[in-house]
Amino acid sequence: MPIPVNKNYTNPVGKSIPRIDGRGIVTGQTQYAFDVRFPNMLVGKMLRSPHAHARILSIDTSKAEQLPGVRAIITAKDTDNIKFGSNEFFFPHTVDQMALESEKVRYIGDEIGAVAALDEETAQEALKLIDVQYEILPAVFDVEEAMKPDAPQIHDALNNIAVILPVNFGNPDRTIKEADYVREDVFYCPAAHHTAMEPHVCVARWETSSDQITLWASTQAPFKCREALAKTLKKNLNDVRVIKMAVGGGFGGKLEMLPMDFAACLLSKKAGGLPVKICLNREEEFSYTRRKHGMIYKIKSGVKKDGTLVAMTGEVIADGGAYCSYGPTVLAAAIMRIFMVYKIQHFRVSGYRVYTNTPISGAMRGFGGVQSGFAIESHMDMLAEGIDMDPIEFRLKNITSPNMTTVNKMIISSNGLKECIEKASGAADWKTKRGKQKHVCRGIGIGIAADVMGSKMYKSHESAGSIVKVEEDGSVYLFTGAADTGQGSNTALSQIACQELGVSFSRIKCTSGDTEITPFDTGSFASRVTFISGNATILAARDAKRQILEIVAHQHSLNVEDLDIQAESVRHLKSHSSFMSFDKALDLCYSFNYGKQIIGRGSYNPKTTPIDFRTGEGNVSGSYSFEAQIAEVEVNKETGEVKILKIWDAHDIGKAINPQSVEGQIEGSLAMGIGYTFLENLQFKKGRVANPNFANYRLPRAMGTAPVESILIETNDPQGPFGAKGMGEASLIPTSAAIANAIYDAVGIRLKELPFTPDKIIKALKEKDTSQK
Amino acid sequence: MNRQTTLTINRKKYVVDLQGHETLLEVLRDHLGLTGTKSSCDDAECGACTVHINGHAMLSCITLARDVAGEEITTIEGLAQGDDLHPIQQTFLDHGAVQCGFCIPGMIMSSKALLDKNSKPSQEEMEYALDGNICRCAGYLKMFNAIREAGKIMGARPQANSEKETS
Repeated sequence: MPIPVNKNYTNPVGKSIPRIDGRGIVTGQTQYAFDVRFPNMLVGKMLRSPHAHARILSIDTSKAEQLPGVRAIITAKDTDNIKFGSNEFFFPHTVDQMALESEKVRYIGDEIGAVAALDEETAQEALKLIDVQYEILPAVFDVEEAMKPDAPQIHDALNNIAVILPVNFGNPDRTIKEADYVREDVFYCPAAHHTAMEPHVCVARWETSSDQITLWASTQAPFKCREALAKTLKKNLNDVRVIKMAVGGGFGGKLEMLPMDFAACLLSKKAGGLPVKICLNREEEFSYTRRKHGMIYKIKSGVKKDGTLVAMTGEVIADGGAYCSYGPTVLAAAIMRIFMVYKIQHFRVSGYRVYTNTPISGAMRGFGGVQSGFAIESHMDMLAEGIDMDPIEFRLKNITSPNMTTVNKMIISSNGLKECIEKASGAADWKTKRGKQKHVCRGIGIGIAADVMGSKMYKSHESAGSIVKVEEDGSVYLFTGAADTGQGSNTALSQIACQELGVSFSRIKCTSGDTEITPFDTGSFASRVTFISGNATILAARDAKRQILEIVAHQHSLNVEDLDIQAESVRHLKSHSSFMSFDKALDLCYSFNYGKQIIGRGSYNPKTTPIDFRTGEGNVSGSYSFEAQIAEVEVNKETGEVKILKIWDAHDIGKAINPQSVEGQIEGSLAMGIGYTFLENLQFKKGRVANPNFANYRLPRAMGTAPVESILIETNDPQGPFGAKGMGEASLIPTSAAIANAIYDAVGIRLKELPFTPDKIIKALKEKDTSQK
Repeated sequence: MNRQTTLTINRKKYVVDLQGHETLLEVLRDHLGLTGTKSSCDDAECGACTVHINGHAMLSCITLARDVAGEEITTIEGLAQGDDLHPIQQTFLDHGAVQCGFCIPGMIMSSKALLDKNSKPSQEEMEYALDGNICRCAGYLKMFNAIREAGKIMGARPQANSEKETS
């Protein structure tokens, strides 16, 4: 029996097909790592440092070992003391974290051991019974204090600076003298937290008889997690299986193996192979995972009267916390993103990634772009004002264009930035509104951005693999290493596979992110999956199609080059006629004479050039996506509250594989940008997270949700799968600046420190009144 | 100390041994394997654990299981009728309101409590009804569309899929 075909989705690319795995989610059947449970499963808990900076003198676990119900305890003595990190290819010296620290602890929460017990209460009790003797060391929490010569030394790094990035092109000191207007600004961006709704959680089982390790994980990068586990556990890659379950959000916070993943595996081994589950509670999640870098962003630029941006210099200081994680490349991205957006030739910005005794800063959606977007795009508006030019006109004068090479050798092919600005400003009615609604405290502001798709951070490559397998009844499997963490990549990649194979979407099932059964993929980050995993999927589907067509061609003595499969049938390209149905072609493949299994494979690694981090030169991505955002706000001068009336977001995404899903990414990304603009601020008190709960770390909620109009710009990228580019992160990069610029337009105050809380707005309004008197 | 307690969940009777301190969330997930109901804060802040008690949206993380013995408990697993999704489940899916999905069971239960009383909610009523449920992925807009659409379907056939409310 041929499987029923849903005609609506015969050509699935470009259609808003509901999530392929959505039924499980809305019925509660989908299994997250949070839901995984096995018989005899033990509860694991991490032993963490209560001190921000201390030397470990001794750890005595003997009392805890005696507690009934305790099944395993591990400390650094049980490990090989192998360090792990996330920028090991570009910055080998920043591989600085031990799965369990043995000599020193560097922040409150640093992991030094772990316990597995029959239940949570016993595990907690055992932690209390472990006697750790510390020599408490002076600690430093403020990033500028940490850079002083007499500051406590956290690692072996001069002035606690893990990495200095000198990005330098042209001669900014000379050319800035040619400018008609020069200004310098300093912007402050706080730490923030990803707050995925599913906390970090894992279940590990180490089958001691076969020495096979399995981790059921909530991860954005199962293959990166496997690599770090294999390295720190001294195992081969095929000894470790990481199974990505449904993931309850990541946003960059679930890109890395954490010590808890390592500990769960080792505890399972020590407990004789019993499965061990470690699940963080919300307070632990806020305090001991990863966070967004707080940044101080100082920039000075010069412009000519005609609006030409001539030079920029500056300094970016990133609060890295206790270890490096993805920090060095986050900092690089925070500095170098400007080259994708503006045609600047003379540029020198130095970046400092600094250790402090606070939780570890790592990757978070936007990857340095949110902080730089706020600084650069606010600064650009102030430059435009300085020469009395409209901010949009100023931007149009300076933005990058299609088919150009930037000063740092980024190769931009398709580029819809100009169209994004024009479409967004048209939809927002910019000309009618800008500067003309001050009497009602309303204003309108713009921010623009660009993003990469991939970054080759996994051992220098950005490989993705796909397998498309066609069964004898014509049903199709897609195996992809890409990690769907909720963004809908299983659906989009399945659409791509079906479109290329020429069959209906109803034929396909997708299995993703299992290191034992799916091909390799570096993971879900850098807005890379649609572009890179999508290209791998096209290649796999094309390979499968070729295998089918070769049999058809052989059987009917035709030239295979003259055949294609489109919309469920094999077509003869020269006569434009339908030759046979897809089902009949499959019958032939699996017939007496042929018996040919159809297994197509694809592997894709974009053509780029490596970044030289001594200068900032290199083409990091196979293509670039662009974005313009306009916010309209109303400021309440009495309360300091800001209401967003509407946001218009025009996004060059190459081609929308699934328009509804693209809109969902824009709306969700924007919500996170709005949260960082007004609410989010991860605060520390002597190194301890001071607001580790949803009552005190506030997030956007349903009340007052801003209306969003998404405008999709399809530039049909020559490298992209069906012309598509990556997206998902760019939409929150310009948000804070678009809002800041709109607030300035409304009431004339310039906010340079996030988040824009009512007290800051009231204070700025008072200062403005005072200065005018 | 343990006491046998009968809970009525999704119109089925479950007999569980309770010490008395267990939350409904713990009993659903850990004792009965009904893991559709999620937990994200365990602190009555996020709404991921929302279930219905007699048709009212309640947080199962702060509800003692023994206190709801004899009440009608409905979880996300109880909404679909066989293969037919409840209109809210279907419209959440069709309108792209679902991303990672971890908040979705709670979000759908809060939405259903609203629509069971009022199938044509205003924007403000929808925002108020969902304000206790945090979504970090999707930003709520598509959920509002889904609720409006589900309201139309439910308004057209008021008896279908609706729990009987007890007052």
